[in-house]
Amino acid sequence: MNMENNPVSKYTISFGLALAISSVANALLVVAKEKSTVVQAQMRRMTGSHWITHAVIVLILFVALGLLFASVKSGRGIKMPVNRLIKVIIAGVLVAGLIIVGFYALSD
Amino acid sequence: MNEMILMAHVLFGVACIVASVWVFVDVLNAKDSNLLRIKWISRAAAVFMWFSFLIGGYWYVVFYPADKAIILKGPWPFAHEYFMETKEHLVIMLLMLVTYLPMAASNNLAANRDARRLVLWVSGMIPLLGLVIEGHGAIIAMGVKVALLAKQM
Repeated sequence: MNMENNPVSKYTISFGLALAISSVANALLVVAKEKSTVVQAQMRRMTGSHWITHAVIVLILFVALGLLFASVKSGRGIKMPVNRLIKVIIAGVLVAGLIIVGFYALSD
Repeated sequence: MNEMILMAHVLFGVACIVASVWVFVDVLNAKDSNLLRIKWISRAAAVFMWFSFLIGGYWYVVFYPADKAIILKGPWPFAHEYFMETKEHLVIMLLMLVTYLPMAASNNLAANRDARRLVLWVSGMIPLLGLVIEGHGAIIAMGVKVALLAKQM
């Protein structure tokens, strides 16, 4: 048996993908609320603080996507080689980090 | 009291970084005998991060507006305009990364090299991002300090 090709659990794959997507969504939501006073005001109205609303939206998205990706294919979950999953997570975190850092560095 | 809240926020953040480094080092030497410890330390990292996030979030919403006003009138307005704005959003990403760590560490790391690589990458990114965020926090605190010092002169 080739131990190097052991698959990881379906939740490892599904929440890894959810992590990458939610990280980018987090960054895009930063741009949306900072560029649109309407969006920011709406987010403030929802919980009293735009930051609390922001965090709640992103964390719900993370959990929802993780559970969704784990439930597809009759509950067997999305399949993906671990090496590709690692690349997706790194890319998601890096892109999201650069969007956030770059946005505030370049904004007035 | 609010200073204690702030210190608890930093303390749990540092504990999360230390736990993640511990996981990283333990996974480099993953074998059957340390798998249980890796799982528990990765869970501890997640718990520390959630404490830090919730305590810091409470402080940010309740106490930070006063600090923000001081910073913006001082010589380092960028401590809020850049560093706090960046920190408060990077930390959400860090929270998800640390929450994911116990899930990744739940696989058989002693037998599965790919799973080991995944945990090494995740537990490696946490201290890097965590230290960036800790540094941001230090600059924000300095922003308050230089503003108060400038006010006295």
